[in-house]
Amino acid sequence: MFSTVLLFREALYGALVIAVACSVLGVYVVLRRIVFVGAAVAQISSAGIALALWLAGTGLALGPLLRPTVMSLVLTLAAVVIFAGGARGRIPPDATIGVTYAVAAAVGILLIAKAASGEAHDIFLQGNILGITRGDTLVLIGVAVPVLVLHVLFYKELLFVSFDRETARTLGYDVRRWDLLLYLTLGVVIASAMQFAGVMLVFNFLVLPAVTGLLLSQHMRGMFFWSVASAVTAAVVGFSLSVPFDLPSGPAISAVSGVLVLLAWLGRRLAARA
Amino acid sequence: MAPLVTFDRATLGYGRRVVLTDISFEMPEGDFLGLVGPNGSGKTTIVRAILGTLQPLAGTVTRDPTLRFGYVPQRDQVDYSFPLKVLDVVMMGRYDRIGLGRRPTAEDRALAREALEHVGIAHLADHRLADLSGGQKQRTLIARALVGEPNVLVLDEPTNGMDLVATTQILGLVRELHDRDGLTVLMVSHALNEVVNYVDRIALVVEGGFRIGTTDEIMTEETLTQMYGIPVEVDSFDGHRIVVARRRHTTEAADRV
Repeated sequence: MFSTVLLFREALYGALVIAVACSVLGVYVVLRRIVFVGAAVAQISSAGIALALWLAGTGLALGPLLRPTVMSLVLTLAAVVIFAGGARGRIPPDATIGVTYAVAAAVGILLIAKAASGEAHDIFLQGNILGITRGDTLVLIGVAVPVLVLHVLFYKELLFVSFDRETARTLGYDVRRWDLLLYLTLGVVIASAMQFAGVMLVFNFLVLPAVTGLLLSQHMRGMFFWSVASAVTAAVVGFSLSVPFDLPSGPAISAVSGVLVLLAWLGRRLAARA
Repeated sequence: MAPLVTFDRATLGYGRRVVLTDISFEMPEGDFLGLVGPNGSGKTTIVRAILGTLQPLAGTVTRDPTLRFGYVPQRDQVDYSFPLKVLDVVMMGRYDRIGLGRRPTAEDRALAREALEHVGIAHLADHRLADLSGGQKQRTLIARALVGEPNVLVLDEPTNGMDLVATTQILGLVRELHDRDGLTVLMVSHALNEVVNYVDRIALVVEGGFRIGTTDEIMTEETLTQMYGIPVEVDSFDGHRIVVARRRHTTEAADRV
């Protein structure tokens, strides 16, 4: 089994980079209760991939925009700028996110259906972890490292505006700018991970490891540690089981993440009773 | 001595929506002001103008350049699902002094512990914020405001949802901070009876009306009846003042609801 997994080690490395980056950002996604923003952004990102593929089939000369990653990034960043600005109209924020999610999902599927060799490209929306090459992993590292450095550098600022924005504002923090930074890093990571991991796995890495972290820890450092540790564990175990048993990697990793959440919840219950 | 904050014929609101007009008052150093009014009357709007997070639509709000606020938000504005220790929360009050991208030093931690000592909960420094009682959470937020070494402490509904014991303890603590440290205090509350016996001056905001004065000036039946639009009585019991609405016919009272 180990030798079979080794054959796909480049794919595993790529999955680990996505796991680490998403699970760090996921701490804010879960604590700020913007889980569905994460889902909607992931869906928009996949719609961007579909749009690029459909446009490529129409013969339009749009240059780099026709590359799925570029189109996905452009649409994702536009969406996160809008989400970071907050809702000001009559429509509740949750409803806006719901509309975005539903429309992006539908548009993605419709565009893929009409794209040249659409069925072959469907894998882009579902993700294709096994297809990750060394070059892809390097690109993912090139995106993840600066994002994580920003998060380490501005940890206390991002924490403060997330925890108590009103007080942060009175101390001179431009809360909207910090929100924008958080959302932009979220958008960049989601857009770069999407074409390899797909909507389900990216969403999984954004939410489930952070929930495990929240269940297991008493402080922020612990939450980050357990979030990353459980994401890495899920990636390694899920990937290792999927290859020899010929299972789709994304759902296998997500299933392991779910088991880890369950174990963390049971552990917390037992600790509370002790 | 120049006042710390001066409102000069200020009109306050959001966009085109005017909340309060023609507000003029000063907040001198060493003041203990209670900003009192029902929910939705515009108290938060005035506080935002004082803090500088809301610019007046007309008129001016001038702040002393040396002004530094210690803000204590309403307890329910803070998200207790964050796994934060009490000491970490208090430290946030120094974040802007520590500077962008820098980590708190041992001195910052010592100051945070000192602030906790000041409000009487130093023993809770390593506890989770979420595990504390309402009064202890409020003390933590007051310690966070103090650790930034402010010259004005602003408290937004500090006793909201608290029982009689916790309310008395928190108001007593705030009064003590004012008396002992000479801290200028602005306390926002919807409950006139709670704050009247602790503050030196009262600013009353009711349905667009605004009146400010010493507690003796504001706590008259004439002023309060005029501001609230219903007949009220001001009684005194063992040196404590209390305001009660006079009983009226049910139908008459219902007309106002």
